[in-house]
Amino acid sequence: MKRLFRIELIKIKSNASFWVLTSLHVGIVLLVILSGKMFLKSISLNGESFSKLVDPSNIPIYQFPDIWHNITYVAGYLKFILAIYVIISITSEISYSTLRQNIMNGLSRADFIKSKLFLVVLLSLASTLFIFIAGLVIGMLSTPDIQLHYLIKYSGFVPAYFLLLTAYLIFALLIGLLIKRTGLAMGLMFLYTIIIEPIVVLRIDVAWVKGLFPIKAINNLIHMPFGKYALREVQDYVSLKETAIVLLYMVLFIYLINLLLRKRDL
Amino acid sequence: MQPENHPNTNNLNNVVTTNGLTKYYGVIKAVDKLTLSIPEKSVFGILGPNGSGKTTTLGMLLDVINPTSGSYSWFGKKPDKETRQTIGSILETPAFYPYLSAVDNLKIVAEIKAIGYENIHEVLQITGLYDRRNSAFSTFSLGMKQRLALASALLCDPLVMILDEPTNGLDPRGIAEIRELIRDIAARGKTIILASHLLDEVQKVCTHFAVLNKGQLLHSGPVNETKLDEQRLEMAAENMTNLKTVLESFPGTKKIETTGDTITITLPGAIQIGEVSRFVFERGIFITHLVSLKKSLETQFLEILNEPA
Repeated sequence: MKRLFRIELIKIKSNASFWVLTSLHVGIVLLVILSGKMFLKSISLNGESFSKLVDPSNIPIYQFPDIWHNITYVAGYLKFILAIYVIISITSEISYSTLRQNIMNGLSRADFIKSKLFLVVLLSLASTLFIFIAGLVIGMLSTPDIQLHYLIKYSGFVPAYFLLLTAYLIFALLIGLLIKRTGLAMGLMFLYTIIIEPIVVLRIDVAWVKGLFPIKAINNLIHMPFGKYALREVQDYVSLKETAIVLLYMVLFIYLINLLLRKRDL
Repeated sequence: MQPENHPNTNNLNNVVTTNGLTKYYGVIKAVDKLTLSIPEKSVFGILGPNGSGKTTTLGMLLDVINPTSGSYSWFGKKPDKETRQTIGSILETPAFYPYLSAVDNLKIVAEIKAIGYENIHEVLQITGLYDRRNSAFSTFSLGMKQRLALASALLCDPLVMILDEPTNGLDPRGIAEIRELIRDIAARGKTIILASHLLDEVQKVCTHFAVLNKGQLLHSGPVNETKLDEQRLEMAAENMTNLKTVLESFPGTKKIETTGDTITITLPGAIQIGEVSRFVFERGIFITHLVSLKKSLETQFLEILNEPA
């Protein structure tokens, strides 16, 4: 087990696309999160008639406990940056024939999948830790009166973010292994995530059926929080049923990855 | 102990045995009912034209290609990943992570083979890559890539080495070095399986060979097991006309050909070369040139390919 982990570490240590994409992920997530206040200010300046009730620039998006829900929701949308790296990682193993050479050298197919799952979990853990620290710091700086129960409330979204990212990266792993070609796999992943599935889901009327589609199911782990600032009702908790659907999808993805690798001539 | 029914599968002196190994790609038969044994400590050449199924066969033995039917065994048992850990192998082009250095690439191989890093420097020195050990694989020339592949195959001090076209893309010096290296490794009691379409290569290093064509095994056996029913000698003397006349009177001469400034005679296999030499000397002719022409593997190979199946 430790061996597989070390192998993956040697591979990423001097891989340029790994460092570029992970830095990009950190940078863009920070940028998007920190521009929230600017965005709200611009609304309050331009939209005189926006609301007489609340000044948008006073909305407490950075305060405990809202920060946890807001930051994980926004970061969840930026999961594709890490998914790009996962796709590059798996498709390059195929195009450089290193997957085949690794099996010839004495890795089992199951070992290879495990090493890639290590990579997925490593990326998700690191990103979650980063989100946790960012949330903690921003929350500390923005909350006038920090109380422990407020700090803890909504912090369940942090592990939910970990699950969301892990599930999506395993999905990317499956797409990469299936399509084999880097560009094509990335294109298809984007197309499916932002166009194909959303359109299909839009045409379905029954809410619970929508939640059965993989991307929708993954995104459902963290529902959109911002409605509450317009006094609309939002789901401000992680639903057990929705978590179970995602876990089932993860099992299915891993099963398919196994099947694909076992049946295929390398 | 479970009794083995098939005579091939329990032979401890064989490193690999295959039994009706078959691979179809769609309707194309890449390998057709291949039954083959590779003896221990042999340098086993697999010969065949391009597309004859050499790489597919080796791919199946290394578990990267799923056979359509048939079976194979390593060291008399069903292979697993531990078996592959003791085999050093190269299939087709060298496969490494292009952005990693030679050393990092070999570290990955070492981790996969569950061995330490202590052999890395040694194999890089053997293959002449030590000075470039920290350069990325992508900066290597084809010859260097080929040598790194050899270094990685040597890394675990393997029991068996599988080399598929190991001299592809190498210059004459590189080819000679690889040949030396293969001989060295074989001398250490390792089994080497060498696939090649270069007959010369196989003849120079192999002890056994098999010929594949269109996925079928045409021949398998030791290299020097030539049918010794006849031999050919190339000769020359100061007076060629006299030499020819004398040779014509030598008992057993089957054929005499004059090519340029030498004479080639065909004799029965049983005749000693010394007999010919003495016969000619006793008749007052001094030989200036005498070469025994061995039947080359190329001739054998072409004969085998041309034999009606």
